[in-house]
Amino acid sequence: MLNIYCPFCAESRSEEEFHYHGQAHIVRPADPDACSDEAWGNYLYFRANPRGLHTEMWVHAAGCRKYFNVVRDTVTYEIHRSYRIDDPQASAL
Amino acid sequence: MSNADQYAVMQQRPEISGLARSVFADADKSQISGVNPVRLNEIQCGHIVIRGLENDIKDVVQSQLELPLPTEPLSCYQNDAACIRWISPDEWLVTVAENETHSTEVKLRLAVEGYAAIVNVSGGQTLLQLAGEHAEEVLMKSTSYDVHESNLKVGKVVTTTFAHTQVVLRRLDTNSFELVVRRSFADYVFAWIRDAAAEFGVDTY
Amino acid sequence: MQRYSAFSLFRHALTYHENWQKVWRNPEPKKHYDVIIIGGGGHGLATAYYLAKNHGVKHIAVIEKGYLGGGNTGRNTTIVRSNYLWDEAAQLYEHALKLWEGLSMDLNYNVMFSQRGVLNLGHTLQDMRDIERRVSANRLNGIDGEVLDAEGVKNIAPLINISKHTRYPIMGASWQPRGGVARHDAVAWGFARAADALGVDLLQQCEVTGFDISGGQVKGVQTSQYGLLGAERVGCVVAGNSSVLAGYAGFDLPIESHPLQALVSEPIKPVLDTVVMSNQVHGYISQSDKGDLVIGAGIDSYTGYGQRGSFTTIEHTLAAIIELFPSFSRVRMNRQWGGIVDTTPDACPIMGSSPVEGLYFNCGWGTGGFKATPGSGHVFADCLASEEIPAMAKPFALDRFYSGALIDEHGAAGVAH
Repeated sequence: MLNIYCPFCAESRSEEEFHYHGQAHIVRPADPDACSDEAWGNYLYFRANPRGLHTEMWVHAAGCRKYFNVVRDTVTYEIHRSYRIDDPQASAL
Repeated sequence: MSNADQYAVMQQRPEISGLARSVFADADKSQISGVNPVRLNEIQCGHIVIRGLENDIKDVVQSQLELPLPTEPLSCYQNDAACIRWISPDEWLVTVAENETHSTEVKLRLAVEGYAAIVNVSGGQTLLQLAGEHAEEVLMKSTSYDVHESNLKVGKVVTTTFAHTQVVLRRLDTNSFELVVRRSFADYVFAWIRDAAAEFGVDTY
Repeated sequence: MQRYSAFSLFRHALTYHENWQKVWRNPEPKKHYDVIIIGGGGHGLATAYYLAKNHGVKHIAVIEKGYLGGGNTGRNTTIVRSNYLWDEAAQLYEHALKLWEGLSMDLNYNVMFSQRGVLNLGHTLQDMRDIERRVSANRLNGIDGEVLDAEGVKNIAPLINISKHTRYPIMGASWQPRGGVARHDAVAWGFARAADALGVDLLQQCEVTGFDISGGQVKGVQTSQYGLLGAERVGCVVAGNSSVLAGYAGFDLPIESHPLQALVSEPIKPVLDTVVMSNQVHGYISQSDKGDLVIGAGIDSYTGYGQRGSFTTIEHTLAAIIELFPSFSRVRMNRQWGGIVDTTPDACPIMGSSPVEGLYFNCGWGTGGFKATPGSGHVFADCLASEEIPAMAKPFALDRFYSGALIDEHGAAGVAH
């Protein structure tokens, strides 16, 4: 059972209150019409699946309903960091 | 053009004669005897949701409700006429007396400028009060949130899960709590609480 | 290989069963192999077996980082069926089901394949429409299937609750009589023993740490225990760890690894002689020959390599099972565990060549790979042995995620099992 820190509610809550929304920081190709099949396929279907640190999006579905990002270890399930999507340090990751 | 022209504010219940029909009108409200029973009551009141940016709303709430806007997460402010709760960084829940709902909605709307929404959601949710020495234990059976007074302090408002549905939970004092629940799940929550509290006894109304 | 039979059982009884031959060897590895299979689960062992048997490949090794059948093969709920919607998937799973039907004889090892039938329940009108569509598609593909109403379900599984007053009342089901269950460990052991008898080296407790690739061509695999082992061709059959191995080879797979849980109860007397699955409430259950109720949960929503799952998932599944079978509410659960499943965007496997010459992948079986074990091994052996990718594997190539020719089996794969 994960205990996830919500940066908006400013406290940790049980996993039950959240929904997982997959890998974070995915950028939609600026001009889909000009995209190669490979670039479009990569955007649609290929996700990071690391054994270790993973940056992912969660939504506090049964709480404040805000989206935020989490850095989690996919082996130990330890959560290293939880931050707002508009966090200026987000891109440093 | 004034704000009043921009919005169609509907009086959802034009002719109030007494209270609306309770969502629990058909619920089993028989007493379950016990040495120290918990008390479970519905408080029928008006629910208004304010959404928008803090800066657009702060002064409106201060001037119209005579309450500061709670900007700290999980906090609330209250006076005799209204209570305003932080629900999300851009969302607040206001409760007022049932026959004040429409007038409150109108005066908030007239006053607000900028990017905001003010919606009467009284038809979608209702408010329960759970009180008694064992009230906290009943909650412990129902939510994964830590409801001990050291964590859920008096006046703290949390939106969390409650028996797989959702609740806006506030501690009123050591032994009493307020639960705002979805109307469509209200009879389920009511039955759940009666079941969870059966070992202590339940007084309803 | 010492053959198993009633006669050999009798003969060994005379010497108190103390002289049985070891089931497989524990060989020293050679420096070079024709084919190296990475992953000693059911699929990997089956691949090695069919490579040796059907294609006469002489030098084959199976490398396993733990013990044989210790991953998802030993952790799944053993359901076998072939009622998939699309032609490509249905053919592949039906190919597997036909192999299951003769597998114990073929391997001279009782894999306890029991065709006790599989029910897929429908709880809404839309469920029933989907079931009718799928059963019709199955029949056109020569796969057995029937649409049942609630009474029909009750006739097959009398303990089930078909009351109209449950949260999701049962409206009917699809029924595949040839589906069933098999003994998961026996499948791994049977394939291992038969492969070993054909000269396949089974190397356990040996982890692959990288590939030897030069000029875009795989030359061998780097292992923790034996250093570099050379190979003409390498097949990766490592389920949840596929992304990790693809990373060693320098490319990505459209796979996400999720924890999937299962649990078994204390053994009870026979009460359920079929397999019951429900997409809608998300639970599936059967009873093993030992008497335990074998229950499977859904995958956790988040990715993970921890072989354990979250409590909310299992709580949800047990609530569903108890709604289907109220009489199981007092049964105690004995053990609970998790595996790592490799899910793809279309719930279909990825099988065939990779961007590296000579390196082949067979992965993405997600939550329901066990049922395909012999078919997967059989077809993947064809991939590894020939110059051409066999017709049955072609639709499952990696490039479908670029061409857009996905085979969406979320409906048929629906319940994670």
